[in-house]
Amino acid sequence: MNGLGGWRIRRGEAGWPEPLAELPAVDEDEPEMLFGFGARELLIQFEPDRTVTIVGSRRSGSYGREVARELGFGAASAGLLVVSGMALGCDSAAHEGALDANGATVAVLGGPADVPYPRSKEPLYRRILASGGAIVSEQPQGTEVHPSFFPARNRIMAALAGWVVIVEGAHRSGTQHTVKQAAKLGREVLAVPGPVNSTLSELPNELLSEGAPVVRDAQDLLDHVLGPGQTQVRGVGPELEPELLEALIAVEGKAGTCDAVAIQLGLEGNAAAVALARLELMGYVAGDAVGRYSRTQLSPPLP
Amino acid sequence: MAIARIQTFTLLGVDAFDVSVEVDVATNGLPSFAVVGLPDTAVRESRERVRAAVKNSGFKFPETRIVASLAPADVRKAGPGFDLGIAAGLLVSSGQLPGDSLQSCAMAAELALDGSVRPVPGTIAMAERAGEVGLDKIIVACESAAEAAMPAALGAHSCRVIPLGCLRDLTLVGTPGEPVHSPRDFEPGAPPELGVDLEDLRGQPNLRRALEAVAAGGHGMLILGPPGAGKSLAARRLPTIMPPLDNPEAMEVLRIASACGPGGPNGNGRGSHSAHRPFRAPHHTISPAGLIGGGNPPRPGEVTLAHRGVLFLDELGEFSRNSLEALRQPLEDGEVTISRVRHSVRLPSRFVLIAASNPCPCGHGEDSPKCNCSALSAQRYRNRISGALADRIDISLSIEQPTPEALAGEAGESSAAVRERVIRARQAALARQGCANAELGPAALREHVPLSKESRRELTSGHSRLGLSGRGHDRVCRVARTLADLAGRDEVSAEDVHGALGFRRRTPQ
Repeated sequence: MNGLGGWRIRRGEAGWPEPLAELPAVDEDEPEMLFGFGARELLIQFEPDRTVTIVGSRRSGSYGREVARELGFGAASAGLLVVSGMALGCDSAAHEGALDANGATVAVLGGPADVPYPRSKEPLYRRILASGGAIVSEQPQGTEVHPSFFPARNRIMAALAGWVVIVEGAHRSGTQHTVKQAAKLGREVLAVPGPVNSTLSELPNELLSEGAPVVRDAQDLLDHVLGPGQTQVRGVGPELEPELLEALIAVEGKAGTCDAVAIQLGLEGNAAAVALARLELMGYVAGDAVGRYSRTQLSPPLP
Repeated sequence: MAIARIQTFTLLGVDAFDVSVEVDVATNGLPSFAVVGLPDTAVRESRERVRAAVKNSGFKFPETRIVASLAPADVRKAGPGFDLGIAAGLLVSSGQLPGDSLQSCAMAAELALDGSVRPVPGTIAMAERAGEVGLDKIIVACESAAEAAMPAALGAHSCRVIPLGCLRDLTLVGTPGEPVHSPRDFEPGAPPELGVDLEDLRGQPNLRRALEAVAAGGHGMLILGPPGAGKSLAARRLPTIMPPLDNPEAMEVLRIASACGPGGPNGNGRGSHSAHRPFRAPHHTISPAGLIGGGNPPRPGEVTLAHRGVLFLDELGEFSRNSLEALRQPLEDGEVTISRVRHSVRLPSRFVLIAASNPCPCGHGEDSPKCNCSALSAQRYRNRISGALADRIDISLSIEQPTPEALAGEAGESSAAVRERVIRARQAALARQGCANAELGPAALREHVPLSKESRRELTSGHSRLGLSGRGHDRVCRVARTLADLAGRDEVSAEDVHGALGFRRRTPQ
């Protein structure tokens, strides 16, 4: 593994992330060893109070992915280390957000660190390594992936960071397991509110009702981690013409397709499409894989 | 008694191939009747039909040794289309009919046992071929006379059509009493009567503008939307707004329809007499052979039946990967080559591809609380749309069910009105580059898509902000060109680029 640019740290060696030592106190195994690829310094200079774990459902909608990306972006722009699990959905989106901000991110894998898992996230795996991030796992190279590795991995993700943000998650999901581990370890769990009729938001909404701090955007997260008003993330975009502003408000009001915007504003199809394309170019809205639009965190300048 | 030689045809794919029927009735020998020259079962059985038809038409069946040879001998002959030729050759050779007039006629018909004459598939191609090789007349069944007269109506090679009711009427050929076909009025350019109209499409202005661009530019389109959002409704109305077929195109369409047999491609008896842009919507369980054609002899598949029209693949994610991969050649080359041991045939397949898909396997879309698909299965589902297919899809859009208010509201613009704009736009494209905008390659794009300074800037911004790839850039340019044509602009404006960016296909996440 060393020959391939990989590394390993034994428990107790220099550079061993100290927070992991808290695990035995809550009846969890502290890993014997960590195997990894990429920037080992991230673990050596590791500061738990400047690290956030952002996790969420694999089966996420565009809402969860967009929010996770935004949080990853905001946290990384403010110089925080973003930890997640490289799973499909929210986890990957959080990593991508951090990478988009040229920030550092650590992916904790369930299986061995030399195998990108899930396979479809191999491009992300390579991107993390290429942009100064790290991939770590407690499984040695060559181990076959086993379902029990993933709950075990959650304890490492929970332990590493000072804060754990839950973007989306159903009851009885892997995300809930991470929440339990974080609670046992005394990490603060923050939650992103979601629609009350969506099973994907059951867990964060329940956490909120139990008093977890609310994360509506990256600003909320940074206010919590770094202190209120310490960093400003909410971007202000270019000025908008009145018709673009109207279209933007329509998208904010859940008009996801070009048809819906056109009908709501009484526009011709072409005019609505042009408005949406211009908003997308300016960064005010983003389209998902099937071409449905949603609002980004960028806000228009105040008149 | 001499040898009689009659010109007939066999179908190879959708084209007629010359087959010369030579019949020798010997003056002596044991009574026998042989057909040689690689006949298939239907041709070999024609002996029985010919024997009965000749007897029952009041002629005498010669009780000597008869040999009918189909030349060239090394091409496999299929179908019942040689019956009339063999019977006529036999009657001429045995001296019961005069040879001069009949041997200058082509023949294409099947015989019934009572001597009446039945139509055969591919009559249009055969009539055209008869004209091409310089024959004056073609004798066909009464039912196929209208088909056989179409090449003349469309300005292709043609010859006089003699509709034949029964074998006995062969005696009239070459006499003043010869049967004449009087063609009914036929207007290839007339708007199709398809029974549907675009005005049914309400509350979906973006879908409307997409259909208009598809009709004008010939672009491939992918519609994503939940069940009941109107994907099929929209696709079925596309042929009503497409530009009319010109004469050579109409001939291609008719040749294919005629090759499918007297019932036409739909088996309903219509279709082979109307030069409309076809609309084909094969079910997603279709096999690759059903889609691109196959069998021995090769028969046209759905891509060929959709030639010059629309191929609608509903539930794209449910088609087998093999079927979708098989679309590669027809999409890239505009034709399918099917090779068999003895020959290969080329079938035309230049169609507009419309694909529709649910956003995820359950159909509700991942954003809906009702969706219960895993992220992986939803991603796999979307990834079906890859490779050759994706390259041909210039326009992609997501639709929703229209609101009840919009459905109850006033009707949208009618097909006729939209069609006029489409025709103008298509003419502009043809005058500029001689082909539809969808067929513009990278070099032609640079030449024929003049971008204003502003639109160039917007495209560059698309590269950096939206991660537009090189091919994505070309697709946006093609669609922007069509939008400019529809708006009557020579130069592609920033508005056209914006409009086209809204139609780009997004990379799956």
